[in-house]
Amino acid sequence: MTATSSAALPEAIGPAAAPRRWGAPLWVGFLLIVLAFLVIYPLLMLLFGALSDSNPVVDGFGKFNPSLEHFINVLGNENVHYAFFNALAACGGGTLLAVAIGLAFSWIVVRTNTPFKRFIAGASMIPLFVPPLVAGVAWSILGSPKTGLINTVFKWIGIDFRIDFYSLSGLIVVFGIYYAPYVYMFTASALQNMDPSLEEASEVSGASALTTIFTVTFPLIAPAILAGSLLSFVVMLGIYGVPAALGAPANISVLTTYIFKLTAWAPPLYNTAAAVAILLMMVTAILVWAQQRVLSGKSYATVAGKAFRPRALNLGPWRWFTFGLAVVYLFVVVVLPTLALIIAAFRKFLFIKNFDALFDMKAYGLSHFNSVFDNPLTMLSIWNTLKVGVITALIGGVLAFAIGYTVYRTQVAGRRSIDLLSTIPVAIPGLVVGVAYLWAWIGLPGGLYGTIWILALAFVARFIPDTVKALSTSFMQIHRELEEAAWICGRGLLGTIATIMLPLARPGLVASMTLLFVLAVRELGSSLFLYTSDTTVMAVLLLDYYEGGNVGKTAAFSLVQTLILAVLLGMTNWLSRGAAQSSARVG
Amino acid sequence: MKRRTMMAGLAGAAASWTLPAAAQDEFGSKELIAAAEKEGSLTYYTANFAEVEQEVIKAFNKRFPKIKVSMVRAPGGQLITRIKTEAAAGKLAADVVDHSDRGLMNSLSDLFQDYTPPNASDYRPDALVSPKLWPGVTLGWAIAYNTQLVKNAPKTWMDLTKPEYKDKQIGQVVGPSGGTTWTRIMFERQVLGEDYWKKQAAVGPALYPSGAPLSDALVRGEVSIAPLLYNIIYTKIVDGAPAEAIFAPEGVPIIPYADGITKTSKSPNASRLFMNWRLSKEGQAFAIKNLGNITSMKEPPAFPKGWDPKAIKVWVPKFDEFEKLRAPWLEEWNKTYGYRQ
Repeated sequence: MTATSSAALPEAIGPAAAPRRWGAPLWVGFLLIVLAFLVIYPLLMLLFGALSDSNPVVDGFGKFNPSLEHFINVLGNENVHYAFFNALAACGGGTLLAVAIGLAFSWIVVRTNTPFKRFIAGASMIPLFVPPLVAGVAWSILGSPKTGLINTVFKWIGIDFRIDFYSLSGLIVVFGIYYAPYVYMFTASALQNMDPSLEEASEVSGASALTTIFTVTFPLIAPAILAGSLLSFVVMLGIYGVPAALGAPANISVLTTYIFKLTAWAPPLYNTAAAVAILLMMVTAILVWAQQRVLSGKSYATVAGKAFRPRALNLGPWRWFTFGLAVVYLFVVVVLPTLALIIAAFRKFLFIKNFDALFDMKAYGLSHFNSVFDNPLTMLSIWNTLKVGVITALIGGVLAFAIGYTVYRTQVAGRRSIDLLSTIPVAIPGLVVGVAYLWAWIGLPGGLYGTIWILALAFVARFIPDTVKALSTSFMQIHRELEEAAWICGRGLLGTIATIMLPLARPGLVASMTLLFVLAVRELGSSLFLYTSDTTVMAVLLLDYYEGGNVGKTAAFSLVQTLILAVLLGMTNWLSRGAAQSSARVG
Repeated sequence: MKRRTMMAGLAGAAASWTLPAAAQDEFGSKELIAAAEKEGSLTYYTANFAEVEQEVIKAFNKRFPKIKVSMVRAPGGQLITRIKTEAAAGKLAADVVDHSDRGLMNSLSDLFQDYTPPNASDYRPDALVSPKLWPGVTLGWAIAYNTQLVKNAPKTWMDLTKPEYKDKQIGQVVGPSGGTTWTRIMFERQVLGEDYWKKQAAVGPALYPSGAPLSDALVRGEVSIAPLLYNIIYTKIVDGAPAEAIFAPEGVPIIPYADGITKTSKSPNASRLFMNWRLSKEGQAFAIKNLGNITSMKEPPAFPKGWDPKAIKVWVPKFDEFEKLRAPWLEEWNKTYGYRQ
């Protein structure tokens, strides 16, 4: 498993090495310029805002009077402390739950002979398509202490117990079940690509299946587990919709809802919001640093040049138990909220006096769908969203591949800076980054502002970290010896990428572009500042419906959005599977 | 389906308003109308609810079908930031801006051109903060309740301090949520008494970040009673929701918006015509009857349901106090209601 000395390789490559000598710095420089434009420039605007009272576009840089006042106020404000503590508790608890669920699921799907695995794998990704606001609304319909459907059912059965999702534990549960797919994505591909001979060795040495899982399997995919939990934690930190719907009624604020208040109220306190955002970024920076410390100096390469077949553990009759677990999870995370949304979307009003009222068919109708499709903005927003999503996925996918390859597969100077720059945006909450993009890019020459391209640019920038990290596990797992083999056979760098890296990393690339597409479709914070009447997107319209106080229309429109996403993702999945099969035949 | 019937009703109402030719001057001269139709479009920035404003645009288009109105909607604070930034970059796309916060709009008055509607003298002077900005929208506070849950409905603001409504039966929008709520809590303290907040907080209301989710919570039965802007609950009542709303005899706090036409407008004539129509008797009557608005006109062209003009007085905050008292009073409000801002 140890890598052959790669230091000797550049000489060995001979002719191919010459252009790379000046090519590498040029390439790194190019990537750094792109990232500076996408990340550093808006970030400077944000810092500028946090350190002053002015709007850089309105007042110009001339009026910049730096002061730490906002930071000092924010750090001394007990409401910020309270929101900070809540955010850490909700996201920390949520992450633990997400890791437990995601890991269990990836193991069930990849490593066992549980029945209907493909179906489980597909269905367990559904929470990812659901915008957080919709998840929050669905769970408030289900889990409200007073009117929640679950409590209505309990009452009907005669159970005295009442659940209350308007609480910190409610937030943790919803975060945990909705962000488990992040962990799943990372760990499933790692398990898939892992050489089972390591586990076989453990079992031959007499270890039980359970011991093998905890001493060999999980430690080997530790980078994937860590990356998945870090990403899900940080993403949770930036989520607005769930705590807005579930935390607000119980007066539980987290950092994002606090920031939203600062930006939405009149007068808006962007400069304070920027200071809170920078606080959030510091937390993330510490976590990323800790992750790198833990992983540094260890090799996790498990995909080597040797052929293997991922093996499935025969669970015997226990396979019905794992199947049952999967069904329960899917019921809780897919069926229940969808049912809640369907009831909300088709019911004229969500006043449900008792369980029997739920079946009063007179209370149902298509009125919410009619009014959603009466709205001329609906079709426009769907069309715009699809365009922006595709552009974002294509540009972002290419950029993430370039960054990922440079960071994880080369030794060029400057790759650490690239890694750092491409990780930063994950830490900036969308609502604040939106205004940073507006400040940064409105003055650009040409007609960028007011087109869908500026939205796509913002989404690419905002989701570079998610895309690169989703790709990184694919890159980290491909052993150098495969590339080295191509070099030795006389392939140049680009040839190696085209014949080795691209095909091997393709499942990861397709997955991360799909993720990017989904994230772009859902993204609200940065859209709100950059859309115009011609470029309105679905997320903005969804917020309009929610803010307009109409759960019925919000639910109807989210069902429409979910359906569109499901159809598109099904198509992508089918296409990529077809492509994979044809390339497998060629190979 | 109800909504469609409502819209059909609107079309009928609009047709019946067709005025004699001379009265067309209510909206502007022939020349203005011709120039506006030649421009053919305008961009409208609003902080009001998108759906509500779409109804306004539809009604405007019934009278002036040749003028296309494109709308951009964002929450109040975010809309202001966007306007400021766009204007500074020389890319302000708005022709007309509609905003509830008179103070913030007043501070941006340099961005707006001189404008006076033909019926300027019909408006209450205390609803105006700048000669350039006009209350195209005026909203008012009502007390709403869920008819299925409340046996003994409140009739006055003072009723909301009664112990029988304790333990989160009442929902409240938090004080710092914006200019509209600030107007209401200022009214409570200045008109209903220094200790009104304390008495009301003692009942233990549930706190909501803004009015629209609260109106939804009321319909769902999460809360039974809530002070709400009438327009938020009105369309739901019309559609058949289990809710009702009353105007209290102690007074109805109203919020006149501040709307203006930008200096950089590329369709100044269409914008004028749009503003003229919204501020006209026809535009205001439409908003009162169909959207649940109130009006800042001295003599309202229509009244909301259950509004007795002899018994109910509107209450407009004094603008200087509105600005000056805001920060210290909100801090006290937060303390009284135990709200963490």
